[in-house]
Amino acid sequence: MTCPSTRWHQFPARVAIALLIGSMCVGNLLADDPTTILNTYCMDCHDANSQEGGVNLDITSINWNRREDRAVWERVYRANQEQLMPPPGESQPTVEQRKSLAAWLDAKLLKHTPIGGTLPRRLNQAEYEATIQDLLHLPDYKLPPGFPKDTEYHGFDNVGEGLFLSPPHFEAYARLARDIADEIFPPAKSAPGTKTWNAGPDDMVLSFSAAAVHGDALRLASRSVDIMRSCTWPSRIEISDSGTYQITVDASKFLSEKGRPFEEAMIFEVYARAVTATERSTIDDFRLLKEIKVTSEESQRTSFQADLYEGETVLFRWKNAEMTHDPPRVGEAFEKLSREDPRFLGAWLKVIYPSGDPKKPIRIPVLRGRNGWEKVSKHMEAADLDLTHATADSALAKSFFKLAAAKGKTTIADCLCYFYHTDGPALEIHNLTIEGPSKLVKSPVDLKRQERQLKITGTRDEGQSQEEFARSMLAGFLPRAFRRPVSEETIESYLTIATQHWNAGHTYEEGMHLLFRNILVSPRFLYRSIDPGNKDDGRMDDYDLATRLSYFLTQTPPDETLIDLAQRGRLSATNPSKATPTKAQYWVLRREAERLMPTSHKDPMIQSFVGQWLDTESLHGIMPDPKFKFSETSIDMAKEETERFFTEILTKNLPIKDFIDPDFTYTSPKFAKDVYRLDPKDLPGSGSGIKRIKLQRGGRVGGLLGQSAIMMATANGVDTQPVLRGVWVLENILGTPPPEPPKDVPALTPDTRGTTTPREMLTAHTQDAACAACHKRIDPVGFALENFDPVGRWRKAWPKTNKTIDASAILTDGTKIQDVVDLKRWLVANIDPFSQCVAEKLMTYATGRVPNYAERKELADIVRANRESAGGFRDLVLALIESKTFRTK
Amino acid sequence: MQAGFERRHFLRAGSVTLALPSLESFATPTESTTPTERATPTESTEDRPRNFVAIGTYLGWYQNAFYPDQAGHDYEMPATLSPLKDYRNDFTVFSGLDHRAGNGHGAWSNFLCGQSPKTHSLDQMMADSIGAKSRFASMQLVAGASESNTKGGNAISFTRQGIALPMVQRPSVFYKQLFMSKADRARTEYMLRSGRSSLDVVLEDAMRLQKTLNGRDRSKLEEYFESLRAVETRMGRQLETINDPVPEPDYKLPSYDPITPNLQIEAEETMYDLMTLALETESTRVISFFLHGLGQVFTFDGKPVGSGYHGLSHHGNNPAMIRDLVKVETAHIHCLARFLKQLNEKKNAKGKSLLDDTIVLLGTGMGDASRHSNANLPTLVAGGGFKHQGHVAVDRSKKDAPLLGDLYITLMQHLGMEVDSFSNASRNMNEVLS
Repeated sequence: MTCPSTRWHQFPARVAIALLIGSMCVGNLLADDPTTILNTYCMDCHDANSQEGGVNLDITSINWNRREDRAVWERVYRANQEQLMPPPGESQPTVEQRKSLAAWLDAKLLKHTPIGGTLPRRLNQAEYEATIQDLLHLPDYKLPPGFPKDTEYHGFDNVGEGLFLSPPHFEAYARLARDIADEIFPPAKSAPGTKTWNAGPDDMVLSFSAAAVHGDALRLASRSVDIMRSCTWPSRIEISDSGTYQITVDASKFLSEKGRPFEEAMIFEVYARAVTATERSTIDDFRLLKEIKVTSEESQRTSFQADLYEGETVLFRWKNAEMTHDPPRVGEAFEKLSREDPRFLGAWLKVIYPSGDPKKPIRIPVLRGRNGWEKVSKHMEAADLDLTHATADSALAKSFFKLAAAKGKTTIADCLCYFYHTDGPALEIHNLTIEGPSKLVKSPVDLKRQERQLKITGTRDEGQSQEEFARSMLAGFLPRAFRRPVSEETIESYLTIATQHWNAGHTYEEGMHLLFRNILVSPRFLYRSIDPGNKDDGRMDDYDLATRLSYFLTQTPPDETLIDLAQRGRLSATNPSKATPTKAQYWVLRREAERLMPTSHKDPMIQSFVGQWLDTESLHGIMPDPKFKFSETSIDMAKEETERFFTEILTKNLPIKDFIDPDFTYTSPKFAKDVYRLDPKDLPGSGSGIKRIKLQRGGRVGGLLGQSAIMMATANGVDTQPVLRGVWVLENILGTPPPEPPKDVPALTPDTRGTTTPREMLTAHTQDAACAACHKRIDPVGFALENFDPVGRWRKAWPKTNKTIDASAILTDGTKIQDVVDLKRWLVANIDPFSQCVAEKLMTYATGRVPNYAERKELADIVRANRESAGGFRDLVLALIESKTFRTK
Repeated sequence: MQAGFERRHFLRAGSVTLALPSLESFATPTESTTPTERATPTESTEDRPRNFVAIGTYLGWYQNAFYPDQAGHDYEMPATLSPLKDYRNDFTVFSGLDHRAGNGHGAWSNFLCGQSPKTHSLDQMMADSIGAKSRFASMQLVAGASESNTKGGNAISFTRQGIALPMVQRPSVFYKQLFMSKADRARTEYMLRSGRSSLDVVLEDAMRLQKTLNGRDRSKLEEYFESLRAVETRMGRQLETINDPVPEPDYKLPSYDPITPNLQIEAEETMYDLMTLALETESTRVISFFLHGLGQVFTFDGKPVGSGYHGLSHHGNNPAMIRDLVKVETAHIHCLARFLKQLNEKKNAKGKSLLDDTIVLLGTGMGDASRHSNANLPTLVAGGGFKHQGHVAVDRSKKDAPLLGDLYITLMQHLGMEVDSFSNASRNMNEVLS
């Protein structure tokens, strides 16, 4: 997604006739005939000779059936409607003349613009991922990070025109296909030889204070569930062949006279861990292989068989160690040890409270590992150790136990580990041997692959030949992969890939592997909107309709229900009788749409559509200036607000004007107070968890215009630019994007000295006639949003200058507004342009094409009908799905 | 100093010409995708260096043992840098430079990204500019982590879009990217041959499909045909050369990947060896290398140090902890010294060393881990054919003091990039280092 500033420049030149210079013959004609109007007002610059801005309006040669010609005249229509042309300063047509021209163009365009025309579109990244996950039972499938990016077209990454397929794409698809085929028909492995690994105490990981080496032994002290605090594992052993191994360990109890007793058996646990597992894992993440009872101070050998899988090694823990890192237990342990030995307590107090003041402990992070323990033990041994406070009931001792029991003080427990390492009790590990594999076993990953293969191919019937089996598999699989029925011819041709490979002497698995590699690079798989299963008037057949509906609402291929309906031709069924007028015309399609409609803000459709329409997916690329103190968490909160807000309007079928002026939002009370400056007494508490928060309608807070996410997406993290926000609103809220700015206009340089306000700098726009045509539409909206800083926080004054923000403006229809509250009121009163804008965005996203003239007309009718019937947003979406525009390729 | 990992693997002398595998690994995110644009490897006639290597430690460098006490050429070698004593004319130490970025581990990536962490990093700017001329536009490596997700918060390199690039942590994987084994070669050949012949079936089917389409749809599908043919041709070219005789690189990988954090120093040595090979074979020109820091307790001369690496970095000025921390950091520099030695020994036909051809930047995004401060980032530039200046001490309290970004501009310009700004910097340090 692009930021507004680059988007502005990428915007296609819909009406790139911005600079028109030239004389204008003063009209002596008043006729309302379109030819006369065009000749009078346009041809000086746009005749076949001049073609200003690349626009030739030579009306004698219009071919209304040519898409390119119609595009030109659509631009003329807009330029006329929005009075962008003729340029200011030139003589202007009368209101009557404009009406007349518009009526003529409208009639011509409507008559000649066919509904439909989506290009074949490649599955985009998200769709490809979801399709592979679904089709090949790979629920965790993700594209590798190097995969070529999708190109955005008209704000969306799923539009045919934008989805190019280049050689790097094809090559990437071929490699993905190979990797995916490996997950179904894994390549055969060569038989391994057996091997013996040996590891002594020096070959084990010392993580934090979990273990310490003493002579020929490694000692463990803690039973913490955090492996990096309690466990050790060999650093140079990694199993490469899943199999059964003989594991032999030598271990003993370590006790000493100075140390505490430990009568019972030490329970020594041996786990299997992935070598690449993070150090931050807990013990439950791993598979217990064996529990060994260590009863002797002499080294005792235990040998057992266990399965270890590819990429694994073993992990050791002392399960019933006295010590743990669990904070309350640490506090208790200190108290217990202190009661037993005043010197222990005295030494700790000396280290932790060097001044003797219980309010002034040392900075705990300084106490680290063995270094920390050495400090304590030095005091313990010192003859002159001060034992004045060394009773467990002293105030100083009590604050120490409290401190040790506090969360996040793990380093104190780490030091204590050395108390046990040094004097015991500790569990000693002397040696580890792993030998094998005595036989190969299937790892969980292997088993999953096997299961996956079975799900995809089914089981072979007795007596069925390899070829027959593959044919029946293809008959079932290809229609799912290609999302429509597949001819015998196609099945037979793909089958030859496998049969030829088998005939050349390759195995069953190799033939199938190759077959799948090819299916996954077939255009029938990679593209949608491609098969000519369309009826004569361009309406899609049930299969294409199922595919479009499914990817639109769920970003996944059609499910069983949709496929079943398509097979029976039910999806495009119309309401047969006038007897049930409550039923929608395309009632099955509508019913299915209701079934698939997103229900949570986390659903892919919400994430993708909202992210792209409202640019919230760009938020993580914006680094707010540190001075705003706007953390990653705040950004997530802002993004989620907009997503939840959209979701509620959709799922609860709220009126469309609630997008602009709602009575609720979703954020944390803290965020609402800090960013939106809401009064804490109006908020449900003061927490930082996200909540539904009630708002007053008609206020400055709430709605798309003012949500932090949107105010961020339309700024750059550092400062705000009214023009960028104005353009963004025209494009995404009002649906009337301004034409590209003239090339020779320099960008605004922010005044860093802070002597001028943005408004003073922008007055030039409204004074220069060439700029004014667009900026009188852009700037007022932009200024109305100036009260929102780059992270959407409400502000009253411009930074640096400290001048009070003047957010007032005059809108194009002459309405005077004071601020964003007035702007919202105006939008609510004239909601159709916004509704039309959302409808067009939804349809661009759903159909993969930008709605054309005739389609926009259909959408306008739907939008009007929705308003007149007091419908909600969900009604609108459902009506759009029933539209001819949606149902046509 | 270096006990605990006595196994050594040196690159044998004598320059081996290595035929490179023709099918690159797709897993490497910054692979150049435009093979036609790649220049054929030729000896550069210019004096400029061609390669860039950036090395950054997650936990910074203890400044008092990294910065010399004296500025200029005649400084007394500080403890951490002592392994570099034979190379004092081949590097410059900079003190007092930083990006004026935020503090804490979260902002570590300011090292190569400048004032705004997690934005387009220096190495990726270089890769975008000069990377297309080699097989891999850039490579990202890490030592000292066995975190399965190294692309999460801790990363060194970021694309233009601010996406953290995943780092390779296994030497065996890095090696495989550079050189294919016999078994890999056989499988690659099998994949190419079977893939190419079966594509005909897909092509025929696609043609059948295309016949049924209307004009616009039909021309849209041309993209597909063009791509398919381009890939077929490329596969053909790869097949032609796949069986050319290939001298195996005279290098023995360890039988295991040293990826547990306590084997970090061993992993560094192996990675540096492979980096030399990668640069020598012109497989890439831009490498970044992240030296992670977790709770691992290192063992030197058979004795474990007093605390885990991360713990030592919070030394709180405790002399015992500082002593151990400097031991760890000196071990890092010891590996660097070996790397510089290898680069220096490799000479091209004109007698120019690989070290002169490679700018090596060693630094960090954290100035003082004990305080989590990211000001005053210890920085060292080696090689690159620069006239090195000993210790350049920048007084960062001065208003016009240069920024670390100014030094980066100099490095980019030295590589031939036409650049005059980086993050918050818009000057250069060409007067100091050229």
